[in-house]
Amino acid sequence: MPDPVLQVEDLCVSFTGGGVTADIVRDLSVTLYGGRTLAVVGESGSGKTITGRAIMRLLPRGASARGRIVVAGREMLSADERELRRARGSDVAMVFQDSMSALSPYLDIGAHIAQAIRLHNPSVTRRAARARAVEMLDRVGIPEPADAVRRFPHEFSGGMRQRAVIAMALVNRPALLIADEPTTALDVTVQAQILALLRELQREYGMAMLLISHDFGVVGSAADEVLVMYAGRQAEYGSLRDIFDQPAHPYTAGLRAATPRLDVRREIGGERTRLRAIPGAPTSLRDAGPGCAFAPRCGLADQVGERCVVEAPLPTVRPTSEVGGLHLAACHLDRLPAPQEVAS
Amino acid sequence: MIVYVARRMVTAVFMLLSIAFVTICLFFGASKDPARAMCGKPCPPETRAKVSAYMQTDQSAVWQYVEFVKGLFVGRTYGTGAQQVHCPAPCFGYSFPNRSDVTTLIAERLPVTLSLALGAAILCLVVGIGLGALSAIRKGGIVDRFSTGFAMFGLSVPTFLVGLLVLQVFGFMLNALPYSGFVSFSESPADWAWHLIGPWMVLSFILAAGYVRVTRTQLLNELSADHLVAMTARGASNRQVNRHAVRGVMVPVAAMFALDVTALLGGSVIAEKVFSLHGLGDLLLSGVNESDLSIVVGVTLFSAFLIIVGNLVADLLMPLLDPRIRRA
Ligand SMILES: Nc1ncnc2c1ncn2[C@@H]1O[C@H](COP(=O)(O)OP(=O)(O)O)[C@@H](O)[C@H]1O
Ligand code: SF4
Ligand SMILES: [Mg+2]
Repeated sequence: MPDPVLQVEDLCVSFTGGGVTADIVRDLSVTLYGGRTLAVVGESGSGKTITGRAIMRLLPRGASARGRIVVAGREMLSADERELRRARGSDVAMVFQDSMSALSPYLDIGAHIAQAIRLHNPSVTRRAARARAVEMLDRVGIPEPADAVRRFPHEFSGGMRQRAVIAMALVNRPALLIADEPTTALDVTVQAQILALLRELQREYGMAMLLISHDFGVVGSAADEVLVMYAGRQAEYGSLRDIFDQPAHPYTAGLRAATPRLDVRREIGGERTRLRAIPGAPTSLRDAGPGCAFAPRCGLADQVGERCVVEAPLPTVRPTSEVGGLHLAACHLDRLPAPQEVAS
Repeated sequence: MIVYVARRMVTAVFMLLSIAFVTICLFFGASKDPARAMCGKPCPPETRAKVSAYMQTDQSAVWQYVEFVKGLFVGRTYGTGAQQVHCPAPCFGYSFPNRSDVTTLIAERLPVTLSLALGAAILCLVVGIGLGALSAIRKGGIVDRFSTGFAMFGLSVPTFLVGLLVLQVFGFMLNALPYSGFVSFSESPADWAWHLIGPWMVLSFILAAGYVRVTRTQLLNELSADHLVAMTARGASNRQVNRHAVRGVMVPVAAMFALDVTALLGGSVIAEKVFSLHGLGDLLLSGVNESDLSIVVGVTLFSAFLIIVGNLVADLLMPLLDPRIRRA
């Protein structure tokens, strides 16, 4: 087996503000190989973006990360500025949720892509970089790329802009792409096109992809492995098949019950189903007590009893249908009861 | 880009011509004939008619307008024979009470007003952007709190009040600053600046408030802007990212400054009055007091000219900061 492209061990991210330090991500561990897609799912505020940004050491002010992050053989948490600059945009690239605000309003698309190239290959002339940008825009399916390269971000439609952003992220052929809700701002049909494009480019470049989404349907149509996050911790981890067919965490089961896969969904008229279908409001790690963060919303907590409230469950190995696969869930229940009971 | 420049220039010329037309119609059409003041007392009708003809105030406003515009390019001659006076191009009219063409009067006063306005502009930009940037970088800190108060005060207090305050405190009470007079730059740069510090402070104080606010807000936006995070994610260094942040701040600041050229000149009139400086504003006021229509019209139009040129320069600089405009 080749070395993993991404290895995260016991990642904790904490925020310091107003004299208080609080963890917002705790004890996260994942391993991701080239050519594979790991989907990170969870409700808004569960720490997906922070996790993605921690991997690139792009945390907002006041946040700090502990643990271990290795990207393409590089220790990210101990890397100095120069090493980080070399890694960012070259070993690991990011597609941000909001393509409009992730682009400089004062630069045309070509200048963005040229910048991405020249930051890592200073010897490439601006001209050559722009020529390369045209090729790249063509590759991601933007019509009339020679013309598009001179357009400014506000002159693109959302879908086209997202394609351009993908071109920008992939121009240096990163080993790892972190795509933070790459389709959330888009129409359902465009969503499917962008996901298909990402998958196609991933195969072509053999890169690993961390696909962040709060939409379980998106995950179903694009992931190989899935990490379900709840309140900054991993609730469940496993292959797409295990997660969909035999979820071991009540939260995952709830999501699963609420969301048909994207391909199925399109057949039933593109209706959008969201994670909100689980009653109750998500808890942040900050407000969580010593017990399971999901306990206030968990229909099964009563079956387990006090333990859910006083002791946080650790991820434990669950049955898997994959050969050599890993399936983990952080729940005190060893087995989930039949689906209809979960849904109640 | 060429289209943009051409369009701006044509607009500027067109605006100047229309302002001239409106001003001349307004003043020459609706004012008392200035010839009456010049004719002396007693003033028999035939003398007055002669004076009117000599001063060319007997003509219609439209004729005045045409002559004025013509005078700007080829000069203008009043009267004939021994009485003849010539006002060379660019002629902004002739002031009979002062026995001087308005252009010369303006040229005498212009250094004062320009010194005042340019100095105040520089001070205001330095203070405004500096304070705004410091407030954003140390948000909630002492500089931030001070400059928020400063901005509130500056935005709400009228110029003349600040002027009188500065005059009172620094000029009379502390005897620290000269409270009137102007020394030309070529004579002594140090004295020139020394005499202008008071009015500069007053003028820039009023205008700086806006720049503090815009710079602070904009820089705060930029400091957490996704597109700068994205730039870091592409592998850019802090320095490269900061350069982009600065551009994001400069665009709205420049746009604001273009609008403030007018306020700067308007404020100068008041500051000149308060600090007894003999600049364009003072010239204009004396023209009004003495019913000297040529001065009023000439100075008004010259000021309009300054403002429009100032705006034009700002407009032409904008595309350098914001490339989106280049494509327009
Ligand atoms: N700049 C910040 N300062 C303080 N807390 C933050 C900041 N950004 C995010 N958080 C907190 O971190 C948690 C995770 O946020 P995020 O990773 O953006 O969630 P997600 O991407 O899953 O919606 C949230 O609960 C949020 O309150
Ligand atoms: S540990 Fe308890 S509360 Fe948490 S998910 Fe499992 S059953 Fe529900
Ligand atoms: Mg997010």
